[in-house]
Amino acid sequence: MRQEEIGVVSRYSLGIDIGGTFTDIVVYDRETGRQFNRKVLTTHGDPSIGVMTGIDTLLKEDGLKPEEMGRVVHATTLFTNSLIERKGAVTGLITTEGFRDTLEIGRERKYELYDIAIEKPAPLIPRNLRLEVGERIKHDGSVKTPLDEQRLDKVADELVKNGATSIAIVFLHSYKNPSHERSAAARVAKRHPKVAISASCDVAPEIREFERASTTAANAFIKPLAHVYLANIAGQLKGRQVRAPFQLMLSNGGLTNVEEAKRSPVQLLESGPAAGALAAAFFGTEDGGGNVLAFDMGGTTAKLSVVDNGQPLITYAFEAARQKRFIEGSGFPIRISSIELIEIGAGGGSIAHIDEIGLLKVGPQSAGSEPGPASYGRGGTNATVTDADFFLGYLNPDFFAGGTMKIDLKAAERAMAPLMKQTGLSLTEVAWGIYDVVNENMASAARVHIAERGKDPRRYAILATGGAGPVHAYYVAKKLGLRKVICPKAAGVASALGLLMAPARIDRVATVAVRIDQVKWTDLEAAYRKLEDNAKAVIAETGLDPKKAKVTRLADIRYVGQAFEVVVELPDGPYTAASKAALNEAFEKAYIEKFTRTPPDVPAEFINIRVSVKAEIAGSATEVTLAAGGKGKALKGKRPVYFPEAKGFVEAAVYDRYAMKPGDSFQGPAVVEERESTLIVGPGASFVVAPSGNLVVTVPQEGAA
Amino acid sequence: MTPAGGPFDAATLEVLWTRLISVVDEQAKTLRRVAFSTLVNESNDFACLICDAKGRSLAQNTDSIPSFIGTLPASVKHFIREIGAANMRPGDVLITNDPWLATGHLPDVTMVKPAFLGGRLVGFVGSTAHVPDIGGHLRSALPREVFEEGFFIPPMKFIHGGEPDEALIRLIEAAVRTPDQTLGDLWAQVTGLDLAERRLIELMTDYGLPSLDPLADEFQGRAEAAMRAAIRALPDGTYRNELETDGTTAPVTLRLALTIAGDEALADYAGSSPAQGNALNCPMCYTFAMTAFALKAALSPRLPNNEGVFRSVRVTAPERSIVNPLYPTAVGLRAMVGHYLPALVLGALARVIPGKVMAGAGSPLWNITQSGVREGGKPYANNFFFNGGMGALPFRDGQSALSWPSNISNVPVEMMERNAPFLFRHKRLAAGSGGRGRFRGGLGQEMLIECESETPVTVVFLAERTRAAAPGIAGGGPGRVGAIEINGRPADPKAKHVLGKGDTLMMRTPGGGGYGPPGARDPGLVERDRRMGYVAE
Repeated sequence: MRQEEIGVVSRYSLGIDIGGTFTDIVVYDRETGRQFNRKVLTTHGDPSIGVMTGIDTLLKEDGLKPEEMGRVVHATTLFTNSLIERKGAVTGLITTEGFRDTLEIGRERKYELYDIAIEKPAPLIPRNLRLEVGERIKHDGSVKTPLDEQRLDKVADELVKNGATSIAIVFLHSYKNPSHERSAAARVAKRHPKVAISASCDVAPEIREFERASTTAANAFIKPLAHVYLANIAGQLKGRQVRAPFQLMLSNGGLTNVEEAKRSPVQLLESGPAAGALAAAFFGTEDGGGNVLAFDMGGTTAKLSVVDNGQPLITYAFEAARQKRFIEGSGFPIRISSIELIEIGAGGGSIAHIDEIGLLKVGPQSAGSEPGPASYGRGGTNATVTDADFFLGYLNPDFFAGGTMKIDLKAAERAMAPLMKQTGLSLTEVAWGIYDVVNENMASAARVHIAERGKDPRRYAILATGGAGPVHAYYVAKKLGLRKVICPKAAGVASALGLLMAPARIDRVATVAVRIDQVKWTDLEAAYRKLEDNAKAVIAETGLDPKKAKVTRLADIRYVGQAFEVVVELPDGPYTAASKAALNEAFEKAYIEKFTRTPPDVPAEFINIRVSVKAEIAGSATEVTLAAGGKGKALKGKRPVYFPEAKGFVEAAVYDRYAMKPGDSFQGPAVVEERESTLIVGPGASFVVAPSGNLVVTVPQEGAA
Repeated sequence: MTPAGGPFDAATLEVLWTRLISVVDEQAKTLRRVAFSTLVNESNDFACLICDAKGRSLAQNTDSIPSFIGTLPASVKHFIREIGAANMRPGDVLITNDPWLATGHLPDVTMVKPAFLGGRLVGFVGSTAHVPDIGGHLRSALPREVFEEGFFIPPMKFIHGGEPDEALIRLIEAAVRTPDQTLGDLWAQVTGLDLAERRLIELMTDYGLPSLDPLADEFQGRAEAAMRAAIRALPDGTYRNELETDGTTAPVTLRLALTIAGDEALADYAGSSPAQGNALNCPMCYTFAMTAFALKAALSPRLPNNEGVFRSVRVTAPERSIVNPLYPTAVGLRAMVGHYLPALVLGALARVIPGKVMAGAGSPLWNITQSGVREGGKPYANNFFFNGGMGALPFRDGQSALSWPSNISNVPVEMMERNAPFLFRHKRLAAGSGGRGRFRGGLGQEMLIECESETPVTVVFLAERTRAAAPGIAGGGPGRVGAIEINGRPADPKAKHVLGKGDTLMMRTPGGGGYGPPGARDPGLVERDRRMGYVAE
């Protein structure tokens, strides 16, 4: 029954993306290629209020019927925020005797070298709620000490007595032998049926006890919230006659069903950014050859992610809730698969200031949306990137947010005046300085990020989204030496559309920790099969045919003696002794790609094995096409805009994005306006409206200054 | 607005600064990616640098470790002096691990590449990285002369105008235990240097800079002025401090007189113990680096790392003292002396700026090297790190089990048990090990390990503060000393021990010192410590 439901290709899909400031609602009509969208303020107390308001307005104003929605896909920052704000369940931890401090000791490394006032992130579970039981499994999986069940009952009772509504269970070496964790989880669940249980062997069955415990603690911390929230929103949708299957976006860009999301909500932490990366991959396929640097610049941050051959890069380790927002190592390690992205404190609201040695710095402090940039006229007095963008003529004060917002240019100038005084620069120089500095911040972060992956930045096209992305993309591209800038339609809300393009995807991992020359091939094959069967069962739960799913096998492999692993995509199974050469070859190839050469004469070892099972959902991904526009006259007029090539303001053509037709071509300097964003194109560049509907800019090659 | 040669404005400088940092950060990510040794790619034991044509440092990578920040710029100047700028050609790569000219011990290899623009030497890119092995004695206090500590490379060319020095390569190959890995890591440094030189020249071309010198003058001048202002803010005077460290047979004294005179700081170590007849000696370059690190961390932590910051800082020590030993003294364990120096400096500053310093930390970091023979007869060794607690601050308790002033991670228990025949019975915070005070010192940690090996297992340690506790500040109490016990009996941390099946080994790292009188502690914090079990019952 359910299988049929989801198999039916319905005309409309509904996407819901709850962000920190805004909730985006998008409906895609696959018959006409039209999309409808609404932005509403996120209602932090009960996010479903904002969602339902947005859906009600959209359906009513665009004359759509709830029962016509064929599928609903949801992403949310709710769980990430709950970790950042530490507003989650009172959580307890039950762990192996002698190891309750693992979560607090961490990896003993500082994220900042010179700051003697450094603070480790305090564990989500305080020491008095971390209790130990007698039990011990050794690294080979053998049992040294059986589980002390009397003690287990006692500590579980104590945690519940102290208010715990969620309990994490993390025993040493449970990735190798989960039997103690499983029986402890079952026993506690039976004794305390209202308490949410998270066992590390289910959440993140990987070797390295701190990272596994950290992931499991985060899962436990948000699990009760996820239960209530997901049931509530699913119920409200039903109440509004939206009967379509309800799916959740995972951090890795795949979709899953509500039951899996409730079991392991930690997998949803990066669901919003994942949707953005998928959208970028989609929009970059036709015009970027599948290799794009996705650049999403909003009000407070810019996010960068790399898309190779149409696939956003995936990471298997990331951090949540960083203590120092943009500093690596200051958050909780989370071991789940996730779209890989970097976040930079560079947005429209980023504040400019002069530092202790007189340099003009921009960000990471942000004026946010309240009071916002000075030019918003809401009491902001700090000069921000948006203020500079207005002054330089990049943004149109009469057409900001489609003309819905009144802009106070004088306030922007007043805010920049102290910087003039401090630096001895003119107003124009200060404004260009702010613009140039924030661009350099983003370009430098991109250079280093790409270098870390052993790739050459010049093979990418930059794909700009977010309110400020297209305003800055052209000059960021010049700094990076990129030839092409792609600007999709409705770049300001493109990421919500990414929700409707995702396949169902379930990833599973297990630690095997065995040398490649000592592998028992039947065991390895069985281990992979077990993961695949488990993942396929969830795909079936989602209502899809597991037989049609595509299985990818991967492994975390390293040379014996190393302390880090490379995640390698392996040839398809089944594996036998004859597979050894092919697997070794796959590892060496991946190793050379990343590290340029292999060390001689050292055997490789598998640490973790992984499977990724994907099933396409009818009506998604490749079938999305966007209707072309092209009504009226494209040239709106001219206005003075600052370009560094001219060392001053020049009259630049201003175009109306909605009036541009595929095939039209133009020359820079130019400004292209649409409701949610503005594209800036420098002198000497040319750009076209591609058949895809994207604007594609060709950047002239000369010095980057 | 155009920077070419002229005075730089605030915005252009910031853009150039960000771009320079991205050059060294890109170099660092590349080195880390290409290096084979886990010391580089897991423990971050390396640094990257850009200097101007005079060898004055301009920028270092974001993650570079404090010791190399202090030593690497000096090494570039030594290369200029020893080899001569006139003798440098495009495509050259210079190399040294001379402990007195580089980082204080042989396993750190420093490599520098002169950068050329239009045939003119315009600057230097450099890096230092800890190689997996450099020959000689395994890490221990035992050597008496540097000759015993490994292969010594004086300042010379590793690559001559693009041609590698095959003779040097063959010598290194023959002298070290892990030739492939050691040489592999040297080539990794070369890969990073090549990239950094290319990126530096691109930057200069993009911005039309014929020379780095005006830019260097500007950055260094600004950083120098800011550091001088920070020093000038301190009252003039000489502030003394003294520490006793564990030493080997007898304790070692480290004595500091920190003189603030106007906008200059002079750190003088007269009165410290003489150089030791073992590897516990800290060459002047490392003494300078650790002293400068502490001054910058206390006075102006956010200043960019360039030569200007350190122009107002002088460090002196009597020759042949433990903090200025001369060639050919053994120096392999220089960190076991050098890591005390930041605490010594902060302790002296406590008299002047009590609100900005940290009490003594439970450092230097601890290490166990465990070796044996597998059942098949193959020898193996493992190296594991553990850290103590940091000192308390004037406004907060010290951090527990955190690496300082170094920055080396632990190894997960699940990995240690896989690699070594050890079963950990516990690894937990050492309750009560933090020094008492208005703010409590950070806790050390305690490991109890059971040996499961059928064959004998040899263990040696790096373990300090087993006798000399981390001092408190402003009335705070000392942290608890660390301890090593075998089968429940105290064991000499500086000696070699052999463990058999069933033997137990207890290691407890030291706690940090407290800050302020214990009586002034907030009763809420006292109650929390009791409830959380951070203090002993």
